Amino acid sequence: MSVEKIAYHPGCPSEATALEQDMSTKEMFKALGVELEEIEDWNCCGAAEAEDPRLVYALNVRNLAIAEKDNLDIMTPCSICYYNLARTNNALKANAELRAEMKGIDPSLEYNGTVTPKHVIEVLVNDIGMDAIKSKLVKKVELKVAPYYGCYLGRPPETAFDDPDDPVLMDQLIELIGGETVPFRSMKTKCCGGPLMMTRADLAFEMARKILQTAKDAGADCIALACPLCGMMLDAKQPDVEKALGVKFDMPIVYITQLIGLALGIDPSKLGLQKNAVDTKKLLEKVV
Amino acid sequence: MPIKTWELDPDFKNEILKEPGGEHLTACYQCSTCTIGCPLTELVPSYNPRKIIQMSLLGMRKEVLSNPDLWICAICQTCTARCPQDVVVGDVLAVIRRLAEKAEAAGEIKIESPRPLFETAFLHTLEKYGRLYDIGLAMEYYPKREGSFIAGQKAMMKDYKDFGMRMFFKGKMGPLGGHGLTKGMLPSKIKQRDVMKKIFAWAEEQEK
Repeated sequence: MSVEKIAYHPGCPSEATALEQDMSTKEMFKALGVELEEIEDWNCCGAAEAEDPRLVYALNVRNLAIAEKDNLDIMTPCSICYYNLARTNNALKANAELRAEMKGIDPSLEYNGTVTPKHVIEVLVNDIGMDAIKSKLVKKVELKVAPYYGCYLGRPPETAFDDPDDPVLMDQLIELIGGETVPFRSMKTKCCGGPLMMTRADLAFEMARKILQTAKDAGADCIALACPLCGMMLDAKQPDVEKALGVKFDMPIVYITQLIGLALGIDPSKLGLQKNAVDTKKLLEKVV
Repeated sequence: MPIKTWELDPDFKNEILKEPGGEHLTACYQCSTCTIGCPLTELVPSYNPRKIIQMSLLGMRKEVLSNPDLWICAICQTCTARCPQDVVVGDVLAVIRRLAEKAEAAGEIKIESPRPLFETAFLHTLEKYGRLYDIGLAMEYYPKREGSFIAGQKAMMKDYKDFGMRMFFKGKMGPLGGHGLTKGMLPSKIKQRDVMKKIFAWAEEQEK
């Protein structure tokens, strides 16, 4: 199946802490010939902090309804946005009464359930397809990569699109662009601790430490990931984890979209590789 | 801990069952798969989702709702994915946390965790602007957690000064990235903030 145009929900971190994920996502899809139509006036999905599903549905139906008006499926680079959009869609599709209730809050929340929410990785693998991506590659990214999936790509089952214990889609993308994946199964889907960053930093740091240590021990040049909260925890907070626990990793953390962008021949600065907290310069030596 | 049957609240399980997310509580057969796979149990051995569910089924309302371990769940969904009975453990725990917040508001218990303050501050920024505003979140959360504005600022600087400088020098916040002078420093406001107000007012009504 091919895709020409899709509605783009960037998510809140795209505006600051995960700027490089947003930049690389846009550049990558441009090079792959897919047009992104940013959801006009999009709002936050509620992340993990909106604990009442009713609030999650009401927040996410607005973004779904905007995409539906444009008759487009909706794609997001953020794993939590994906989870919230997908579970809202499931709940509303199955329940006409709930849809009516949403419309009752405000007419702009009228939604008929015709949109399919997708994560960037799903669009790459299932909609564009490995062969089509391969045909556009101009460089090899000869890095040893630890593929880190985090929580919401393979869990929970109602919205998952990859295996919960041993997901493979990012592994396949890394191999496609000339990279090598290091043994990382024990950590692939283990939580990074991000949601506990401000309330139990001690636990969050320990969770991040395990992931960083495992990647280092496996001989990885970098960790590739697909979620801006994981990016914040493992990259932007990495120096804090090192300081608090008296360890040193210097482990570059990149978004999978940045790696694919490099293989597509896109200029590293357009992919925001100068914005990752842990320096990524030495990775570029292995892009040939 | 001895269980005093005369202090149990047999209706507690029904309170959970009728909340969205809590519908499958009674399907639990206590196999402990949720707890064995939990990344937090690995770090904090007292954290035991299986036990929280069993205590809820027995009606140990106060013990469950005032358990500080409730607030270390990272919402990673491993328990939900692995549960052979489809209890949707992660959602059940979220229901219990919401009930704990209600119980605290009613003066029945005291929550020994800053997590509700954090979540409330987070949601306040959405209600006001339609999008998350990190700095606004921190400015509300830290003073409330520490009990005063000054102590809050100190705690915030301790946790986020280095992080903030990193964001600044990498051009993700502030003028250096060429994305505008105040990038990430001021809230990003959506146009339809009136709809956000309506959404939050409706959700609050549902919670009652």
